[in-house]
Amino acid sequence: MMKFFYNNTILQILVIVLISFTNIFSQDVVDSLAVQKGEQIFKTNCVSCHSIGTNSLIGPGLEGVTEKRKKDWLKKWINSSSDFIASGDADAIAIYEEYNKVAMTSFYFEDEDFEALYAYLKNPPIQVKATSADLVLASDEGVANSTKLMFIALFLLCLVYILTSLKNKLKESLDQQTETIPETLLNQFKLFISEHRNVVFVSVACIIVVLKFSYDSMLGIGVYSQYQPEQPIAFSHKVHAGENGVDCNYCHSSARNSKHSGIPSANVCMNCHTYINEGTITGTSEISKIYDAIGFDPDTRTYIEGYDQKPIKWVRIHNLPDLSYFNHSQHVVAGKVECQTCHGPIEEMDVVYQHAELTMGWCIDCHRTSEVAMEGNEYYTELHTQLKEKYKGEKITVDKIGGIECAKCHY
Amino acid sequence: MNRVFILVLVLVVSSCSNSGPGYEFMPNMYRSPSLETYGQNSVFSDSLNARKPVKGTIARNYLSTFYYDGTLSDYLDAGNNAINPIDNTEANINDGKKLYSMFCKHCHGEFGAGGGSITHPIYSAIPHYNEAKLLRRANLPMSELKPGHIFHAITYGLNAMGPHSSQLSEEERWKIVLYVQELQKYSAE
Repeated sequence: MMKFFYNNTILQILVIVLISFTNIFSQDVVDSLAVQKGEQIFKTNCVSCHSIGTNSLIGPGLEGVTEKRKKDWLKKWINSSSDFIASGDADAIAIYEEYNKVAMTSFYFEDEDFEALYAYLKNPPIQVKATSADLVLASDEGVANSTKLMFIALFLLCLVYILTSLKNKLKESLDQQTETIPETLLNQFKLFISEHRNVVFVSVACIIVVLKFSYDSMLGIGVYSQYQPEQPIAFSHKVHAGENGVDCNYCHSSARNSKHSGIPSANVCMNCHTYINEGTITGTSEISKIYDAIGFDPDTRTYIEGYDQKPIKWVRIHNLPDLSYFNHSQHVVAGKVECQTCHGPIEEMDVVYQHAELTMGWCIDCHRTSEVAMEGNEYYTELHTQLKEKYKGEKITVDKIGGIECAKCHY
Repeated sequence: MNRVFILVLVLVVSSCSNSGPGYEFMPNMYRSPSLETYGQNSVFSDSLNARKPVKGTIARNYLSTFYYDGTLSDYLDAGNNAINPIDNTEANINDGKKLYSMFCKHCHGEFGAGGGSITHPIYSAIPHYNEAKLLRRANLPMSELKPGHIFHAITYGLNAMGPHSSQLSEEERWKIVLYVQELQKYSAE
Protein backbone atom coordinates (compact mmCIF):
# COMPACT_ATOMS: atom_id res chain seq x y z
CA MET A 1 0.00 0.00 0.00
CA MET A 2 2.65 2.34 1.09
CA LYS A 3 4.67 1.37 -1.89
CA PHE A 4 1.82 1.96 -4.29
CA PHE A 5 1.09 5.37 -2.83
CA TYR A 6 4.71 6.27 -3.09
CA ASN A 7 4.87 5.19 -6.70
CA ASN A 8 1.69 6.99 -7.51
CA THR A 9 2.80 10.31 -6.07
CA ILE A 10 6.10 10.04 -7.87
CA LEU A 11 4.24 9.34 -11.06
CA GLN A 12 1.93 12.29 -10.46
CA ILE A 13 4.76 14.61 -9.73
CA LEU A 14 6.56 13.40 -12.79
CA VAL A 15 3.51 13.96 -14.95
CA ILE A 16 2.96 17.44 -13.54
CA VAL A 17 6.57 18.36 -14.04
CA LEU A 18 6.50 16.98 -17.56
CA ILE A 19 3.32 18.84 -18.46
CA SER A 20 4.58 22.08 -17.06
CA PHE A 21 7.83 21.65 -18.93
CA THR A 22 6.11 21.00 -22.24
CA ASN A 23 3.90 23.96 -21.52
CA ILE A 24 6.80 26.26 -20.96
CA PHE A 25 8.56 24.77 -23.92
CA SER A 26 5.67 25.10 -26.35
CA GLN A 27 4.88 28.59 -25.06
CA ASP A 28 8.45 29.51 -25.76
CA VAL A 29 8.37 28.10 -29.26
CA VAL A 30 5.16 29.93 -30.13
CA ASP A 31 6.52 33.16 -28.71
CA SER A 32 9.85 33.01 -30.43
CA LEU A 33 8.15 32.21 -33.74
CA ALA A 34 5.82 35.14 -33.29
CA VAL A 35 8.72 37.37 -32.27
CA GLN A 36 10.64 36.29 -35.36
CA LYS A 37 7.69 37.04 -37.61
CA GLY A 38 7.17 40.31 -35.79
CA GLU A 39 10.78 41.23 -36.35
CA GLN A 40 10.31 40.59 -40.06
CA ILE A 41 7.21 42.80 -40.13
CA PHE A 42 9.03 45.48 -38.15
CA LYS A 43 11.98 45.42 -40.50
CA THR A 44 9.91 45.69 -43.67
CA ASN A 45 7.43 48.30 -42.44
CA CYS A 46 8.62 50.26 -39.46
CA VAL A 47 12.39 50.76 -39.32
CA SER A 48 12.51 53.74 -41.66
CA CYS A 49 10.72 55.79 -39.04
CA HIS A 50 11.07 53.95 -35.71
CA SER A 51 13.94 52.46 -33.78
CA ILE A 52 13.44 49.61 -31.34
CA GLY A 53 15.53 51.53 -28.80
CA THR A 54 14.75 54.83 -27.06
CA ASN A 55 16.03 57.22 -29.72
CA SER A 56 13.38 58.83 -31.88
CA LEU A 57 13.85 58.98 -35.66
CA ILE A 58 10.86 60.26 -37.65
CA GLY A 59 8.59 58.80 -35.01
CA PRO A 60 9.32 57.89 -31.38
CA GLY A 61 11.62 55.04 -30.34
CA LEU A 62 9.56 52.00 -29.45
CA GLU A 63 11.37 50.62 -26.40
CA GLY A 64 8.80 49.88 -23.70
CA VAL A 65 5.89 51.02 -25.87
CA THR A 66 3.88 47.95 -24.85
CA GLU A 67 4.04 49.10 -21.22
CA LYS A 68 3.26 52.69 -22.08
CA ARG A 69 0.22 51.95 -24.26
CA LYS A 70 -2.52 49.36 -24.11
CA LYS A 71 -2.65 46.72 -26.80
CA ASP A 72 -5.99 47.99 -28.11
CA TRP A 73 -4.65 51.49 -28.32
CA LEU A 74 -1.61 50.35 -30.32
CA LYS A 75 -3.77 48.32 -32.65
CA LYS A 76 -6.02 51.26 -33.44
CA TRP A 77 -3.06 53.57 -33.89
CA ILE A 78 -1.11 51.25 -36.18
CA ASN A 79 -4.09 50.27 -38.30
CA SER A 80 -5.20 53.79 -39.02
CA SER A 81 -3.71 56.58 -36.96
CA SER A 82 -5.66 59.23 -38.87
CA ASP A 83 -9.02 57.63 -38.06
CA PHE A 84 -7.90 57.19 -34.47
CA ILE A 85 -6.93 60.85 -34.17
CA ALA A 86 -10.22 61.87 -35.76
CA SER A 87 -12.04 59.81 -33.11
CA GLY A 88 -10.67 62.28 -30.57
CA ASP A 89 -8.41 60.09 -28.42
CA ALA A 90 -6.37 62.48 -26.27
CA ASP A 91 -3.17 60.40 -26.28
CA ALA A 92 -3.33 59.94 -30.03
CA ILE A 93 -3.76 63.66 -30.60
CA ALA A 94 -0.92 64.41 -28.19
CA ILE A 95 1.56 62.18 -30.02
CA TYR A 96 0.38 63.56 -33.38
CA GLU A 97 1.06 67.09 -32.16
CA GLU A 98 4.41 66.11 -30.67
CA TYR A 99 5.68 64.77 -33.99
CA ASN A 100 4.78 67.84 -36.07
CA LYS A 101 1.41 66.55 -37.22
CA VAL A 102 2.96 64.03 -39.54
CA ALA A 103 0.43 61.25 -40.01
CA MET A 104 1.75 57.74 -39.71
CA THR A 105 1.04 55.41 -42.62
CA SER A 106 -2.14 53.32 -42.11
CA PHE A 107 -1.11 49.69 -42.07
CA TYR A 108 -4.30 47.65 -41.52
CA PHE A 109 -2.39 44.56 -40.39
CA GLU A 110 -4.16 41.20 -40.20
CA ASP A 111 -4.81 40.17 -36.59
CA GLU A 112 -2.15 37.49 -36.80
CA ASP A 113 0.45 39.95 -38.11
CA PHE A 114 -0.44 42.49 -35.46
CA GLU A 115 -0.04 39.84 -32.73
CA ALA A 116 3.38 38.97 -34.12
CA LEU A 117 4.42 42.60 -34.27
CA TYR A 118 3.13 43.13 -30.74
CA ALA A 119 5.09 40.11 -29.54
CA TYR A 120 8.22 41.56 -31.10
CA LEU A 121 7.65 44.98 -29.54
CA LYS A 122 7.15 43.28 -26.19
CA ASN A 123 10.32 41.21 -26.53
CA PRO A 124 12.77 43.47 -28.30
CA PRO A 125 16.22 42.07 -28.96
CA ILE A 126 18.82 42.87 -26.33
CA GLN A 127 20.95 45.60 -27.79
CA VAL A 128 24.63 44.82 -27.76
CA LYS A 129 26.64 47.96 -27.73
CA ALA A 130 30.05 47.78 -29.28
CA THR A 131 32.71 48.95 -26.90
CA SER A 132 35.49 51.10 -28.14
CA ALA A 133 37.90 48.18 -27.68
CA ASP A 134 35.96 46.18 -30.26
CA LEU A 135 36.34 48.78 -32.91
CA VAL A 136 38.99 48.03 -35.41
CA LEU A 137 41.07 51.11 -35.64
CA ALA A 138 42.86 51.86 -38.83
CA SER A 139 46.50 51.13 -38.12
CA ASP A 140 49.32 53.13 -39.58
CA GLU A 141 50.88 50.05 -41.12
CA GLY A 142 52.60 50.60 -44.39
CA VAL A 143 52.80 54.34 -43.94
CA ALA A 144 56.55 54.37 -43.61
CA ASN A 145 57.31 50.99 -45.16
CA SER A 146 59.64 52.39 -47.78
CA THR A 147 61.52 54.45 -45.22
CA LYS A 148 61.86 51.47 -42.90
CA LEU A 149 63.17 49.37 -45.76
CA MET A 150 65.68 52.05 -46.61
CA PHE A 151 67.00 52.17 -43.05
CA ILE A 152 67.34 48.41 -42.93
CA ALA A 153 69.17 48.43 -46.24
CA LEU A 154 71.52 51.17 -45.04
CA PHE A 155 72.21 49.27 -41.83
CA LEU A 156 73.01 46.08 -43.73
CA LEU A 157 75.20 48.05 -46.10
CA CYS A 158 77.23 49.44 -43.20
CA LEU A 159 77.50 45.99 -41.66
CA VAL A 160 78.77 44.48 -44.89
CA TYR A 161 81.26 47.28 -45.33
CA ILE A 162 82.65 46.90 -41.79
CA LEU A 163 82.97 43.13 -42.15
CA THR A 164 84.71 43.26 -45.51
CA SER A 165 87.15 45.91 -44.38
CA LEU A 166 87.84 43.87 -41.24
CA LYS A 167 88.54 40.82 -43.38
CA ASN A 168 90.90 42.83 -45.58
CA LYS A 169 92.72 44.23 -42.56
CA LEU A 170 93.27 40.69 -41.29
CA LYS A 171 94.45 39.56 -44.67
CA GLU A 172 96.89 42.47 -44.81
CA SER A 173 98.43 41.70 -41.46
CA LEU A 174 98.84 38.04 -42.38
CA ASP A 175 100.70 38.37 -45.67
CA GLN A 176 102.17 41.69 -46.65
CA GLN A 177 102.66 42.11 -50.32
CA THR A 178 105.14 44.47 -51.81
CA GLU A 179 104.81 45.53 -55.43
CA THR A 180 106.80 47.74 -57.70
CA ILE A 181 105.22 50.91 -59.00
CA PRO A 182 104.16 50.41 -62.62
CA GLU A 183 105.37 52.87 -65.25
CA THR A 184 102.33 53.58 -67.44
CA LEU A 185 99.41 55.67 -66.22
CA LEU A 186 96.93 52.92 -67.08
CA ASN A 187 98.85 50.40 -65.00
CA GLN A 188 99.08 52.85 -62.12
CA PHE A 189 95.30 53.29 -62.32
CA LYS A 190 94.80 49.52 -62.35
CA LEU A 191 97.07 49.17 -59.32
CA PHE A 192 95.12 51.91 -57.52
CA ILE A 193 91.89 50.06 -58.20
CA SER A 194 93.27 46.72 -57.09
CA GLU A 195 94.75 48.23 -53.91
CA HIS A 196 91.63 50.27 -53.03
CA ARG A 197 88.93 47.96 -54.31
CA ASN A 198 86.52 48.73 -51.49
CA VAL A 199 86.91 52.47 -51.69
CA VAL A 200 86.36 52.44 -55.43
CA PHE A 201 83.38 50.12 -55.14
CA VAL A 202 81.68 52.16 -52.42
CA SER A 203 82.14 55.41 -54.30
CA VAL A 204 80.72 53.89 -57.51
CA ALA A 205 77.77 52.62 -55.50
CA CYS A 206 77.27 56.09 -54.00
CA ILE A 207 77.35 57.66 -57.44
CA ILE A 208 74.72 55.20 -58.68
CA VAL A 209 72.47 56.01 -55.73
CA VAL A 210 72.87 59.75 -56.20
CA LEU A 211 72.25 59.55 -59.93
CA LYS A 212 69.24 57.30 -59.53
CA PHE A 213 67.69 59.54 -56.89
CA SER A 214 68.27 62.72 -58.81
CA TYR A 215 66.97 61.14 -62.03
CA ASP A 216 63.82 59.94 -60.28
CA SER A 217 63.17 63.24 -58.57
CA MET A 218 63.68 65.14 -61.82
CA LEU A 219 61.15 62.89 -63.55
CA GLY A 220 58.75 63.35 -60.66
CA ILE A 221 58.69 67.14 -60.77
CA GLY A 222 55.06 68.14 -61.24
CA VAL A 223 53.88 64.52 -61.28
CA TYR A 224 51.91 63.60 -58.20
CA SER A 225 50.50 60.18 -59.05
CA GLN A 226 50.09 57.93 -56.01
CA TYR A 227 49.82 61.05 -53.84
CA GLN A 228 47.68 59.92 -50.92
CA PRO A 229 47.35 62.54 -48.21
CA GLU A 230 45.56 62.00 -44.94
CA GLN A 231 42.14 63.68 -44.98
CA PRO A 232 40.53 65.51 -42.02
CA ILE A 233 37.73 62.92 -41.98
CA ALA A 234 38.58 59.29 -42.75
CA PHE A 235 35.91 59.09 -45.45
CA SER A 236 36.06 55.79 -47.31
CA HIS A 237 35.10 55.76 -50.98
CA LYS A 238 35.26 51.96 -50.74
CA VAL A 239 32.36 51.93 -48.30
CA HIS A 240 30.26 54.63 -50.00
CA ALA A 241 30.85 54.12 -53.72
CA GLY A 242 31.84 50.45 -53.53
CA GLU A 243 29.86 48.57 -50.91
CA ASN A 244 26.88 50.93 -50.74
CA GLY A 245 26.86 51.55 -54.48
CA VAL A 246 26.21 55.28 -54.31
CA ASP A 247 26.77 56.86 -57.72
CA CYS A 248 29.71 59.28 -58.00
CA ASN A 249 27.31 61.97 -59.24
CA TYR A 250 25.25 61.77 -56.08
CA CYS A 251 27.88 63.58 -54.02
CA HIS A 252 29.93 65.15 -56.81
CA SER A 253 26.79 66.46 -58.48
CA SER A 254 28.47 69.49 -60.03
CA ALA A 255 30.72 67.31 -62.21
CA ARG A 256 27.79 67.21 -64.65
CA ASN A 257 27.45 70.97 -65.04
CA SER A 258 30.61 72.69 -63.96
CA LYS A 259 34.33 72.93 -64.54
CA HIS A 260 34.83 71.51 -61.06
CA SER A 261 33.66 68.21 -59.75
CA GLY A 262 32.57 69.82 -56.51
CA ILE A 263 33.38 68.56 -53.07
CA PRO A 264 29.98 67.84 -51.51
CA SER A 265 28.92 70.31 -48.87
CA ALA A 266 28.02 68.81 -45.51
CA ASN A 267 24.27 68.94 -46.23
CA VAL A 268 24.81 66.16 -48.79
CA CYS A 269 26.49 64.03 -46.10
CA MET A 270 23.52 64.75 -43.86
CA ASN A 271 21.04 63.36 -46.40
CA CYS A 272 21.99 59.96 -45.01
CA HIS A 273 23.98 60.75 -41.87
CA THR A 274 21.12 62.48 -40.12
CA TYR A 275 20.05 58.93 -39.34
CA ILE A 276 23.22 56.89 -39.82
CA ASN A 277 25.35 57.94 -36.87
CA GLU A 278 27.73 55.02 -36.81
CA GLY A 279 30.12 53.91 -39.54
CA THR A 280 31.16 50.35 -40.32
CA ILE A 281 34.90 50.96 -39.88
CA THR A 282 35.37 53.85 -37.48
CA GLY A 283 32.14 53.81 -35.48
CA THR A 284 31.01 57.26 -34.41
CA SER A 285 34.42 58.94 -34.32
CA GLU A 286 34.56 60.08 -37.97
CA ILE A 287 30.87 60.78 -38.58
CA SER A 288 30.77 62.96 -35.48
CA LYS A 289 33.35 65.20 -37.17
CA ILE A 290 30.66 66.20 -39.68
CA TYR A 291 28.31 67.02 -36.80
CA ASP A 292 31.10 68.99 -35.20
CA ALA A 293 31.64 71.06 -38.33
CA ILE A 294 28.02 72.04 -38.85
CA GLY A 295 26.60 71.87 -35.34
CA PHE A 296 24.25 68.90 -35.39
CA ASP A 297 23.20 67.11 -32.25
CA PRO A 298 22.80 63.40 -33.10
CA ASP A 299 20.92 62.67 -29.87
CA THR A 300 18.06 65.08 -30.51
CA ARG A 301 18.61 65.09 -34.30
CA THR A 302 18.44 68.84 -34.46
CA TYR A 303 20.82 71.55 -35.60
CA ILE A 304 22.25 73.69 -32.82
CA GLU A 305 21.07 77.26 -33.26
CA GLY A 306 23.69 79.95 -33.60
CA TYR A 307 26.47 77.38 -33.96
CA ASP A 308 29.75 78.66 -35.32
CA GLN A 309 30.11 76.36 -38.31
CA LYS A 310 33.58 75.34 -39.37
CA PRO A 311 34.53 74.29 -42.90
CA ILE A 312 35.91 70.77 -43.33
CA LYS A 313 39.39 71.27 -44.74
CA TRP A 314 39.71 68.44 -47.25
CA VAL A 315 43.17 68.08 -48.75
CA ARG A 316 43.19 68.52 -52.49
CA ILE A 317 44.74 65.58 -54.34
CA HIS A 318 44.23 66.19 -58.07
CA ASN A 319 45.57 69.57 -59.03
CA LEU A 320 46.37 70.67 -62.55
CA PRO A 321 48.73 73.62 -62.84
CA ASP A 322 46.97 76.92 -63.48
CA LEU A 323 48.52 77.08 -66.92
CA SER A 324 46.19 74.41 -68.26
CA TYR A 325 42.42 74.39 -68.48
CA PHE A 326 40.33 71.35 -67.64
CA ASN A 327 36.56 71.07 -67.52
CA HIS A 328 34.74 68.19 -65.82
CA SER A 329 31.31 68.62 -67.44
CA GLN A 330 32.90 68.62 -70.90
CA HIS A 331 34.41 65.20 -70.22
CA VAL A 332 31.59 63.70 -68.14
CA VAL A 333 28.55 64.88 -70.13
CA ALA A 334 29.66 65.49 -73.72
CA GLY A 335 32.62 63.10 -73.69
CA LYS A 336 30.79 60.44 -71.66
CA VAL A 337 34.04 59.49 -69.94
CA GLU A 338 33.69 57.28 -66.85
CA CYS A 339 35.07 58.83 -63.67
CA GLN A 340 37.29 55.77 -63.21
CA THR A 341 39.08 56.38 -66.52
CA CYS A 342 41.08 59.18 -64.91
CA HIS A 343 40.54 58.60 -61.20
CA GLY A 344 41.20 54.85 -61.16
CA PRO A 345 39.40 52.30 -59.02
CA ILE A 346 37.97 54.91 -56.62
CA GLU A 347 35.32 52.45 -55.41
CA GLU A 348 38.09 50.24 -54.00
CA MET A 349 40.01 52.98 -52.21
CA ASP A 350 39.65 53.46 -48.49
CA VAL A 351 41.98 56.44 -48.74
CA VAL A 352 41.97 58.09 -52.14
CA TYR A 353 45.22 58.47 -54.06
CA GLN A 354 45.94 60.06 -57.38
CA HIS A 355 45.70 57.33 -59.99
CA ALA A 356 46.71 59.13 -63.18
CA GLU A 357 49.89 61.10 -63.81
CA LEU A 358 47.95 64.14 -65.06
CA THR A 359 50.89 65.05 -67.29
CA MET A 360 50.41 66.57 -70.72
CA GLY A 361 51.61 63.37 -72.37
CA TRP A 362 48.94 61.46 -70.50
CA CYS A 363 46.20 63.84 -71.68
CA ILE A 364 47.39 63.78 -75.29
CA ASP A 365 47.70 59.97 -75.34
CA CYS A 366 44.07 59.65 -74.31
CA HIS A 367 42.91 62.29 -76.83
CA ARG A 368 44.70 60.39 -79.60
CA THR A 369 43.15 57.03 -78.78
CA SER A 370 39.64 57.84 -77.45
CA GLU A 371 36.82 57.94 -79.95
CA VAL A 372 34.37 60.84 -79.89
CA ALA A 373 31.13 59.82 -78.17
CA MET A 374 28.53 60.32 -80.89
CA GLU A 375 25.72 58.22 -79.42
CA GLY A 376 23.20 60.25 -77.47
CA ASN A 377 24.92 63.58 -78.17
CA GLU A 378 22.12 65.20 -80.16
CA TYR A 379 23.38 68.71 -79.54
CA TYR A 380 26.37 68.00 -81.80
CA THR A 381 24.54 66.03 -84.52
CA GLU A 382 25.44 68.50 -87.27
CA LEU A 383 29.12 68.50 -86.42
CA HIS A 384 29.18 64.74 -86.11
CA THR A 385 27.65 64.17 -89.57
CA GLN A 386 30.23 66.53 -91.04
CA LEU A 387 33.01 64.63 -89.32
CA LYS A 388 31.70 61.29 -90.52
CA GLU A 389 31.80 62.56 -94.11
CA LYS A 390 35.26 64.02 -93.74
CA TYR A 391 36.86 60.93 -92.18
CA LYS A 392 35.00 58.20 -94.02
CA GLY A 393 35.63 54.83 -92.37
CA GLU A 394 38.33 56.22 -90.10
CA LYS A 395 38.15 56.20 -86.33
CA ILE A 396 37.15 59.70 -85.23
CA THR A 397 39.29 60.31 -82.20
CA VAL A 398 39.34 63.38 -79.97
CA ASP A 399 42.44 64.81 -81.67
CA LYS A 400 40.42 65.09 -84.91
CA ILE A 401 38.06 67.59 -83.25
CA GLY A 402 40.92 69.68 -81.98
CA GLY A 403 41.79 67.69 -78.87
CA ILE A 404 45.52 68.32 -79.27
CA GLU A 405 45.44 71.98 -80.28
CA CYS A 406 47.57 73.99 -77.86
CA ALA A 407 45.02 76.73 -77.27
CA LYS A 408 42.29 74.27 -76.34
CA CYS A 409 43.88 73.89 -72.91
CA HIS A 410 46.56 76.58 -72.72
CA TYR A 411 45.28 80.12 -73.11
CA MET B 1 80.03 37.61 -53.72
CA ASN B 2 79.95 40.44 -51.19
CA ARG B 3 80.03 42.97 -53.95
CA VAL B 4 77.07 41.44 -55.74
CA PHE B 5 75.20 41.55 -52.47
CA ILE B 6 76.04 45.20 -51.96
CA LEU B 7 75.02 46.01 -55.51
CA VAL B 8 71.61 44.41 -54.91
CA LEU B 9 71.25 46.43 -51.72
CA VAL B 10 72.14 49.63 -53.54
CA LEU B 11 69.46 48.92 -56.14
CA VAL B 12 66.89 48.19 -53.42
CA VAL B 13 67.69 51.40 -51.60
CA SER B 14 67.65 53.50 -54.73
CA SER B 15 64.28 52.18 -55.89
CA CYS B 16 62.47 53.51 -52.81
CA SER B 17 59.86 56.09 -53.77
CA ASN B 18 58.69 59.17 -51.88
CA SER B 19 55.03 59.66 -50.99
CA GLY B 20 54.67 63.44 -50.63
CA PRO B 21 52.89 65.55 -53.21
CA GLY B 22 56.25 66.17 -54.89
CA TYR B 23 58.00 69.21 -56.33
CA GLU B 24 56.69 71.87 -58.66
CA PHE B 25 58.58 73.31 -61.57
CA MET B 26 58.20 77.09 -61.27
CA PRO B 27 55.39 77.28 -58.69
CA ASN B 28 54.33 80.76 -59.81
CA MET B 29 53.19 79.26 -63.10
CA TYR B 30 51.26 76.56 -61.26
CA ARG B 31 49.51 78.87 -58.86
CA SER B 32 48.28 82.14 -60.24
CA PRO B 33 47.23 84.91 -57.84
CA SER B 34 43.57 84.40 -58.73
CA LEU B 35 41.64 82.42 -56.13
CA GLU B 36 40.82 78.74 -56.59
CA THR B 37 37.29 77.49 -55.92
CA TYR B 38 37.97 75.69 -52.66
CA GLY B 39 40.96 77.73 -51.49
CA GLN B 40 41.36 80.24 -48.70
CA ASN B 41 41.84 83.99 -48.72
CA SER B 42 42.65 86.72 -46.23
CA VAL B 43 39.79 89.03 -47.25
CA PHE B 44 36.80 87.37 -45.66
CA SER B 45 36.62 86.70 -41.96
CA ASP B 46 35.85 83.01 -42.48
CA SER B 47 38.62 82.85 -45.15
CA LEU B 48 36.45 80.74 -47.49
CA ASN B 49 36.73 81.25 -51.26
CA ALA B 50 33.47 79.41 -51.79
CA ARG B 51 30.92 82.09 -50.91
CA LYS B 52 27.25 81.64 -50.28
CA PRO B 53 25.06 83.67 -52.66
CA VAL B 54 23.57 86.85 -51.26
CA LYS B 55 20.12 86.22 -49.82
CA GLY B 56 17.48 86.41 -52.51
CA THR B 57 19.93 85.83 -55.37
CA ILE B 58 18.59 83.77 -58.23
CA ALA B 59 21.18 82.08 -60.42
CA ARG B 60 20.60 82.26 -64.16
CA ASN B 61 18.17 79.55 -65.31
CA TYR B 62 17.32 78.78 -61.70
CA LEU B 63 14.14 80.85 -61.35
CA SER B 64 11.83 78.68 -59.32
CA THR B 65 8.32 77.82 -60.45
CA PHE B 66 7.57 75.82 -57.31
CA TYR B 67 6.14 78.09 -54.65
CA TYR B 68 5.78 75.70 -51.75
CA ASP B 69 7.86 75.52 -48.60
CA GLY B 70 8.88 72.48 -46.59
CA THR B 71 5.85 72.25 -44.32
CA LEU B 72 3.31 69.47 -44.26
CA SER B 73 0.46 71.74 -45.40
CA ASP B 74 2.52 72.88 -48.38
CA TYR B 75 3.29 69.25 -49.16
CA LEU B 76 -0.43 68.60 -49.38
CA ASP B 77 -1.03 71.83 -51.36
CA ALA B 78 1.78 70.99 -53.79
CA GLY B 79 0.19 67.60 -54.40
CA ASN B 80 -3.13 69.22 -55.22
CA ASN B 81 -1.92 72.14 -57.28
CA ALA B 82 1.64 71.82 -58.62
CA ILE B 83 1.91 71.03 -62.32
CA ASN B 84 4.96 69.48 -63.98
CA PRO B 85 6.28 72.12 -66.41
CA ILE B 86 8.30 69.49 -68.29
CA ASP B 87 6.64 67.75 -71.26
CA ASN B 88 5.93 64.08 -70.82
CA THR B 89 8.08 62.88 -73.70
CA GLU B 90 10.18 59.77 -74.06
CA ALA B 91 13.40 61.80 -74.13
CA ASN B 92 12.52 63.51 -70.86
CA ILE B 93 11.56 60.22 -69.23
CA ASN B 94 14.88 58.76 -70.34
CA ASP B 95 16.71 61.73 -68.86
CA GLY B 96 14.72 61.14 -65.69
CA LYS B 97 15.75 57.51 -65.71
CA LYS B 98 19.43 58.44 -65.96
CA LEU B 99 19.10 60.91 -63.11
CA TYR B 100 17.10 58.37 -61.10
CA SER B 101 19.94 55.87 -61.40
CA MET B 102 22.39 58.48 -60.11
CA PHE B 103 20.35 59.94 -57.28
CA CYS B 104 17.64 57.49 -56.23
CA LYS B 105 18.53 53.94 -57.21
CA HIS B 106 20.85 53.13 -54.31
CA CYS B 107 17.93 53.40 -51.86
CA HIS B 108 14.74 52.98 -53.93
CA GLY B 109 16.10 50.18 -56.11
CA GLU B 110 16.17 49.99 -59.87
CA PHE B 111 12.38 49.87 -60.28
CA GLY B 112 11.28 51.85 -57.26
CA ALA B 113 10.46 48.68 -55.38
CA GLY B 114 13.21 48.94 -52.78
CA GLY B 115 16.18 46.59 -52.69
CA GLY B 116 18.79 49.26 -53.41
CA SER B 117 22.45 48.76 -52.67
CA ILE B 118 22.26 50.59 -49.32
CA THR B 119 21.43 47.99 -46.71
CA HIS B 120 21.49 50.07 -43.53
CA PRO B 121 18.41 49.22 -41.40
CA ILE B 122 17.07 52.79 -41.61
CA TYR B 123 16.91 52.51 -45.39
CA SER B 124 15.75 48.90 -45.58
CA ALA B 125 11.99 49.52 -45.34
CA ILE B 126 11.64 51.71 -48.41
CA PRO B 127 8.02 51.88 -49.60
CA HIS B 128 7.38 50.63 -53.13
CA TYR B 129 6.20 53.19 -55.68
CA ASN B 130 3.43 50.92 -56.95
CA GLU B 131 2.18 49.95 -53.51
CA ALA B 132 -1.57 50.65 -53.58
CA LYS B 133 -2.88 49.69 -50.16
CA LEU B 134 -1.30 51.67 -47.34
CA LEU B 135 -2.44 55.25 -46.97
CA ARG B 136 0.43 57.72 -46.58
CA ARG B 137 0.41 61.20 -45.06
CA ALA B 138 -1.44 62.65 -48.05
CA ASN B 139 -4.15 60.03 -47.42
CA LEU B 140 -3.11 58.39 -50.67
CA PRO B 141 -1.13 55.21 -51.26
CA MET B 142 2.29 55.42 -52.92
CA SER B 143 0.96 54.48 -56.33
CA GLU B 144 -1.40 57.47 -56.39
CA LEU B 145 0.91 60.21 -55.16
CA LYS B 146 0.70 63.29 -57.39
CA PRO B 147 3.67 64.90 -59.21
CA GLY B 148 3.60 67.73 -56.67
CA HIS B 149 3.99 65.29 -53.77
CA ILE B 150 6.93 63.59 -55.45
CA PHE B 151 8.60 66.88 -56.33
CA HIS B 152 8.08 68.18 -52.81
CA ALA B 153 9.61 65.01 -51.35
CA ILE B 154 12.70 65.30 -53.57
CA THR B 155 13.06 69.01 -52.83
CA TYR B 156 12.53 69.05 -49.07
CA GLY B 157 12.97 65.39 -48.15
CA LEU B 158 10.44 63.12 -46.48
CA ASN B 159 10.84 60.89 -43.43
CA ALA B 160 14.37 59.45 -43.53
CA MET B 161 15.01 60.85 -47.00
CA GLY B 162 17.01 64.06 -47.08
CA PRO B 163 16.40 67.12 -49.27
CA HIS B 164 18.02 66.87 -52.71
CA SER B 165 17.51 70.41 -53.96
CA SER B 166 21.21 71.26 -53.70
CA GLN B 167 22.19 68.40 -56.01
CA LEU B 168 19.47 68.67 -58.66
CA SER B 169 18.05 71.63 -60.57
CA GLU B 170 14.28 72.00 -60.68
CA GLU B 171 14.21 70.82 -64.27
CA GLU B 172 16.14 67.69 -63.34
CA ARG B 173 13.83 67.04 -60.41
CA TRP B 174 10.75 67.32 -62.63
CA LYS B 175 12.35 64.84 -65.04
CA ILE B 176 12.86 62.42 -62.17
CA VAL B 177 9.19 62.95 -61.23
CA LEU B 178 8.21 61.88 -64.77
CA TYR B 179 10.21 58.69 -64.41
CA VAL B 180 8.92 57.96 -60.90
CA GLN B 181 5.38 58.27 -62.26
CA GLU B 182 6.29 55.59 -64.77
CA LEU B 183 7.54 53.41 -61.92
CA GLN B 184 4.28 53.95 -60.00
CA LYS B 185 2.60 51.98 -62.81
CA TYR B 186 5.35 49.38 -62.79
CA SER B 187 4.53 46.13 -61.06
CA ALA B 188 7.19 43.63 -60.07
CA GLU B 189 5.05 40.69 -61.19
